[in-house]
Amino acid sequence: MHKIKLRINGNEIEHEVDARLLLVHYIREKARLTGTHVGCDTGNCGACTVIFNGKAVKSCMTLAAQVDGAQIITIEGLAKNGLHPIQKAFMEKFAIQCGYCTPGMIMSAYGLLTANPSPDEAEIREALEGNLCMCTGYQQIIEAIAHAADVMRGAGKKK
Amino acid sequence: MMKLDEILVTRNWVGKPVQRQEDLRFVKGEGSYVDDLDMDCHQAAILRSPHAHARIKKIDVSKALALKGVIAVLTGQEAAGQTKPISARAITRPATQYVMAVDKVRYVGEPVAAVAAEDRYIAEDALELIEIDYEALPPVVKIEDALKPDAPLVFEEAGSNVLMHDLMEHGNFAEACQEADLILKETFNVHRYSSTPLEPWAIIADYQKGSDAFLVWANDQQHGRSITNVCNTLGIPTHKLRLMVPDSGGGFGIKLALWPYIVILSLLAKKANKPVKWIQTRREHLMAGSHAPDANVEIELALKKDGRLLAVGIKDIQNDGSFVHTAGIYGLIKFATMVGCYNIKATKAELLSVVTNKGPTVQNRGVGKPTMIFVLERMVDLAAKKLGLDPSEIRFRNFVRPEQMPYTTPSGEIYESGDYPECLRKALELVGYEELKRRRDAERKNGKYLGIGISAGVEPGTSNLGYYYTARGTPEYTGNAEGAIVSVDYDGNVNVLLGSADTGQGHATTTAQVIADMLAISPDNVSMNSHVDSLISPFLGHSGVYSNKFNDVDLGAVVMATKKIRDKMLRLAAHMLELDVNQLKLKDGKICSAKDEAKAVSFKEIASLAYKKIVFLPEGEEPGLKDIAYYRNPIAKLPNRKDFNIQLTHANSVHIAVVEVDVQSGMIEFLKYGIVHDCGRQIHPGIVEGMAIGSTVHGLGASLLEEFVYNEDGQLLSTTFMDYMKPLAMGVPKFELAHMESPCPYTLLGTKAVGEGGSLPSLAAIANAVEDALAPFGVKVTSLPITPEKVVRAVTESKEI
Repeated sequence: MHKIKLRINGNEIEHEVDARLLLVHYIREKARLTGTHVGCDTGNCGACTVIFNGKAVKSCMTLAAQVDGAQIITIEGLAKNGLHPIQKAFMEKFAIQCGYCTPGMIMSAYGLLTANPSPDEAEIREALEGNLCMCTGYQQIIEAIAHAADVMRGAGKKK
Repeated sequence: MMKLDEILVTRNWVGKPVQRQEDLRFVKGEGSYVDDLDMDCHQAAILRSPHAHARIKKIDVSKALALKGVIAVLTGQEAAGQTKPISARAITRPATQYVMAVDKVRYVGEPVAAVAAEDRYIAEDALELIEIDYEALPPVVKIEDALKPDAPLVFEEAGSNVLMHDLMEHGNFAEACQEADLILKETFNVHRYSSTPLEPWAIIADYQKGSDAFLVWANDQQHGRSITNVCNTLGIPTHKLRLMVPDSGGGFGIKLALWPYIVILSLLAKKANKPVKWIQTRREHLMAGSHAPDANVEIELALKKDGRLLAVGIKDIQNDGSFVHTAGIYGLIKFATMVGCYNIKATKAELLSVVTNKGPTVQNRGVGKPTMIFVLERMVDLAAKKLGLDPSEIRFRNFVRPEQMPYTTPSGEIYESGDYPECLRKALELVGYEELKRRRDAERKNGKYLGIGISAGVEPGTSNLGYYYTARGTPEYTGNAEGAIVSVDYDGNVNVLLGSADTGQGHATTTAQVIADMLAISPDNVSMNSHVDSLISPFLGHSGVYSNKFNDVDLGAVVMATKKIRDKMLRLAAHMLELDVNQLKLKDGKICSAKDEAKAVSFKEIASLAYKKIVFLPEGEEPGLKDIAYYRNPIAKLPNRKDFNIQLTHANSVHIAVVEVDVQSGMIEFLKYGIVHDCGRQIHPGIVEGMAIGSTVHGLGASLLEEFVYNEDGQLLSTTFMDYMKPLAMGVPKFELAHMESPCPYTLLGTKAVGEGGSLPSLAAIANAVEDALAPFGVKVTSLPITPEKVVRAVTESKEI
């Protein structure tokens, strides 16, 4: 067993965890934050994407024991004083159908826009390489991320 | 039928891209999928067969049971002792299969035993401790092997691996062939693939000792049918099962037949004395979560020299793997789509369902329609080539024309409306066809291989006959219908319960738009619980989310239930205002005098009368403002092999794909992809756009990337998303989309199918484009998927993909 202490969405939590417990299961079952989803078990689909010390990672490819002392942001921690612009953009551009990939998509977009506030379409598509959406065909998701980038840079200011 | 103006009193919401009601919870991570439900559960894991075909000689679960944290173990033998075999739907030969393997396994991944433990990790550990003695049997994997006279039998009692064989002819096929100037024949092979919803199957079962009943939560796409199947299999009356469907992370047909696992979980829950949860892993999903069957289709096309099509015949052999419940259901849907968008006066279909030691099949998005449209549209292109016609020209010469609508096909399908030639004209214009052809020809001289592929398809929806096969006689399920409950509550807001769950289509949003325009209110005042609960939701044997039926019969039920409430509110308002109903109108959440809007009562005041001031109700009026309606599609014909309609609405579209093929690497890149789409009246253009594009990407994946590959031993080689490759954002084009709106005269709102959409015509559009690009090499595309390896081999040696 490993003792871990970390901040999830700003809240400090502490647990004893089995060495083999995956971060995604820790987040879902111990921290009871169920917005982070499991879609594939092999790191391909990205439904489990969270922000780990500022970077987007797949929580199904990470052990809970690895996150001792870390800052984790999950989809539940993104909205502050109202929805985050990426969340709003996903709603406005109809980038959601079943909603299952949505949290992971939004966290990947958050990771992208943190590193690159002005991505072009090709860069957005590339950043979504690790996220599968089975419903939308991606087009409205890409539009949403581009729109969110515009909003986050200050409306109207293009690259 | 009611006219649109009688249904909608305002036109503020229908047709507008309003905010989706579902999305706030999804962007906040507050969706409520089965695995998110806050319940104290044991967790299940399922032991699956490592063999394609083997006899089970012995199972020993003692070590697993002894593991700390293991609560219960269920073997196939034990399950069979408490259940009836899985019911078959379309096959005509006897084949007995239980929810878990009993004395033999028939595919890699077939459930053999199930464990409930304190957590999933322990349950998985326990699986490794179950000892099974298998005696391997020779497997049958390919269609050709299954048909050999000495082939091993998947179901011995059937006496054959062909479990369904039927022949249907409509119009005079022989005469049409005699009249023809040429007859083209070709055989196509379409592979196994799946739309793989991102959320795999998920079930929680709880056994309530006190009432001897089961509570089940599952992401089931067709709970109406599952209730019957689960109860029949468990041998319990219907009221002993309460089935609930919360949010569901995509369906695409793949969650239509997960009910055998509800049976397994129910039996486990009974042993465990606590709710048991099973979340399917992706590997389990890809092995045993059902596929579209692979098929060999021989097609013949009889035509005149000028390109006019006279007759089409198919011999369709589908490899249904080994799941008796769904075996044989694809053939009839292919048959129903046989003439595509064309005037063809005679058809012949020979349909075979073959069982093998491959995994189960189910109604994947479009069922047989993608295969049929692929085969037909490929054939039309081959015919154009033979006759020296442009691929667009041969289609223009054969399209059903708008003045022929409603058009009845030789077997009885009714194409209700549409302008197919205009759809193609618009598509050619959208992509700039003539300019593209010039560019293609010019680039060829530079050693660049561009290709343009056209495909025109009908997109049928709302299935009649419930996919039952007429070869079995009168089907148990016929027609199509759905139920809705609509109420106006104390505050004057509207609540809705529907008989079908939502798997991403935005049913609550769309329903709210329609009701808002029926009652002159805002969609914000309408809330629909899109979760299904069999105890409170209205449902029928067909109920579920499939075959694009939502905007036909589901909304039909919503309209009819809302109309009952509206009529009642008008009567109550007339009483309160001392006016006649025909002197009233609805406006902004009120009912007022048409002449003097100041003379008004709010919905809240009407509700107050209906719910609370009972003695003030007019004589004969029941209290309350809640009503139920079931609505059936009106044009479903009776089962009759000579004249029947299997699909009750027909959207249509034209897809044009433009690709560049790198003949060195075999890689295919999209330069353009245009879609013109006619799904009748659109309720929500944002949702329709997402479906039209998303469904096309399913076709793109099926055409180029995805394939369940089995080796000769029947081992599945593609069990993760690393080797079962889905389209990524990088690999899909930016789609150009244009719409037409030909309202359907037989649906209340003029809507037609939209969900399966692009998954139908895209296969042929892409294949036709690749073949066009490789025309200098004389390559013919007769199989899918078109992998880089096949492209390179075709260019250098085989000349065939």
